[in-house]
Amino acid sequence: MDSTTQLVTTIIILLAFAVTVIVTQFIRRRQSSFPMRVIPAYEAIPLMVGAATEAGRPMHVSFGSAGLGGSNTALTLASAELFYQVALRNQVGATVLTMSDTSALPLGYGALRRAYAGRTGAIRDSSVRWYPSGDRSLSFAAALTGVLGDERVSGNVLTGSFGPEIALVLEAAARRRQPTIAGSVELDGQAVAYAMADQPLIGEELFVAGAYLGDNAVQRGSVVTLDVLRWLLILGILIATGNAIRVPVIDALTKLLHRGG
Amino acid sequence: MARLGTALATAIAIGFGLLTVWGLLSSANVPIANITQVILQLAVIMVAVTILLGVLNLFVVHLRRIGRRQKGWVYSFVLIVSAAAVIGLWITGQTTTNQFLLENVELSVESALAGLMVFALVFGAYRMMRRRVTWSAVLFTLVLLIILIGALPVPQVAFLASVRAWLLAVPVSAGARGILLGIALATVVTGVRVLIGQDRSYRE
Repeated sequence: MDSTTQLVTTIIILLAFAVTVIVTQFIRRRQSSFPMRVIPAYEAIPLMVGAATEAGRPMHVSFGSAGLGGSNTALTLASAELFYQVALRNQVGATVLTMSDTSALPLGYGALRRAYAGRTGAIRDSSVRWYPSGDRSLSFAAALTGVLGDERVSGNVLTGSFGPEIALVLEAAARRRQPTIAGSVELDGQAVAYAMADQPLIGEELFVAGAYLGDNAVQRGSVVTLDVLRWLLILGILIATGNAIRVPVIDALTKLLHRGG
Repeated sequence: MARLGTALATAIAIGFGLLTVWGLLSSANVPIANITQVILQLAVIMVAVTILLGVLNLFVVHLRRIGRRQKGWVYSFVLIVSAAAVIGLWITGQTTTNQFLLENVELSVESALAGLMVFALVFGAYRMMRRRVTWSAVLFTLVLLIILIGALPVPQVAFLASVRAWLLAVPVSAGARGILLGIALATVVTGVRVLIGQDRSYRE
């Protein structure tokens, strides 16, 4: 890592740290000061879980190939929070959690254990399932299509790392009339999820489940931090663009003025 | 006691997290960078151990399905037999047979699934237009058609090739970078949440 990258990374981390801490204190006092925009996928989750409870069928949630220890660690933690919220609302029913990265297994067990705390027997051996993925995760997608049919799941929440193979899962869900919420950090998987899922989650929306479904001030604070960082980035891009086109634009205007004169 | 355990877990997570960030942001020659390397190696070892957990999970889930004769138990049986055979072949050192199985069974099946994916995608585009005819859905389908037709080696639609190239180079590239930047910022913010001990995975 060169010194400029180190400096920029340090500034971004410190900025995120400072804004999160400050904003969290404000939100603890006045939660209504920071309204959040509506994300339809998170609005749909309580309804989806309610339908699962009424039908007496399980919910299916999946990390895809996201796991701990790599570049997808933060995504895996954020997805675990979303799955915790889904399982918490699905207290009467069951939740099946699948993944293709074994490092997400303990996290998945932990999320379900916390959600079903005090409800003995709610977590079965088959509640958390690991399916190995081949080179292109197609075998994992094929296994998920089997889960949708065998378990007669009521709804699917697929947030994590999925490639275009997510099309197979979403198509199988559509054929069985199972509603789906899906999003991926991989661009090709994201494009497929946007086209095929009932409610897609795009980009940073994958990371904010705790703020939308929980009532934690820090989670809401992190959404505001994300907005602040986003606006700073936009400002940075505009300044850099202005700086890059400044000389050619001034040259062109000067030429135009000389020609006019 | 449970609270003490939670506090301890949080303290360990924050401590190791801060040490790792500090080490990664320092130059390679300072001692903290070496400590970071040790922490990262420990993490890699722990992730490797979880593979054993995964295999155990696979066998437990599917043996139970077979035992209870649940729907689709035959597939579970085939899976268990295949997994046991591959592990057995690996233990006995028959890597050639394993390689043969990988190339002639798994890759063939995956290629067949990849072929099916095209139909799933076409069905998806159709379903999107059927479900909600919005401006974004129309734009999505229009761009998809231009990209697909523009890739055809047909002289009559050659003009679409340049439109396709422009679409891929400018708006598609800009949109993709926008999504990736959003993911990167969210990753930083989630990391900060972990560093201040507010992530639920060890808070409760």
